[in-house]
Amino acid sequence: MSWDIEKIKSVLPQREPFLFVDEVLRVDTDSFTVVAKKTFSPGEYFFKGHFPGNPIVPGVILIEAMAQASILLYAACKPEIAALKPDYYLGKVKSEFRQPVRPGEPVIMEIKGLKMINNAGVGQATAKVGENIVAKAEFIFGVIRKDAR
Amino acid sequence: MANQLEAELNKIVSEITEIPLDKLKPDADFFDDLKIDSMKAIEIVAAFEKKYKVVIPEEEIPKMRSLSKIIAFAKDKIK
Repeated sequence: MSWDIEKIKSVLPQREPFLFVDEVLRVDTDSFTVVAKKTFSPGEYFFKGHFPGNPIVPGVILIEAMAQASILLYAACKPEIAALKPDYYLGKVKSEFRQPVRPGEPVIMEIKGLKMINNAGVGQATAKVGENIVAKAEFIFGVIRKDAR
Repeated sequence: MANQLEAELNKIVSEITEIPLDKLKPDADFFDDLKIDSMKAIEIVAAFEKKYKVVIPEEEIPKMRSLSKIIAFAKDKIK
């Protein structure tokens, strides 16, 4: 099962220029896994300053992309909660970066859910360009239903 | 074995909460006494599940309010 951008937008509250998932290539709720893709175009706003003449995707943007893919995994595992359009917020991130990502390189993010409950999720993410791991992260995020604020 | 399990669980909780091992009393309530927030609590649960390949049902998580309760659960599940 794959998700197009409209399905992604129906889950994620983020919008351009801060929407960092183009496509979900695979959703497997049995193994709590989502594989998503993002290709950063040369026109992304942050390349102007990061860095002039040497565009590299900022690490924090890679974290955000993996976090957004983690929310998509949560929505796949907990559709009844996601349908209520809750607020998602990051609680903790552990990350490492191994190689720079440049404009036009498709980044494939695989997210594995370690724990998904009604008000939180824990996931591990690996981002690759081709066969090379460019970043890894572990996320803990909270999920707050609007009627529980 | 039981002592090793307790030592491992103490280490997991200490690392996640950043509370020194000598300050982690077995019956201290995570929320009321140790002021652990819900994000750290779920991190403890996930670390526990990952290390011991067990699943703590969602309805059981609110009951895991102290080290002694986690240890009791662990001893029951990890034979």
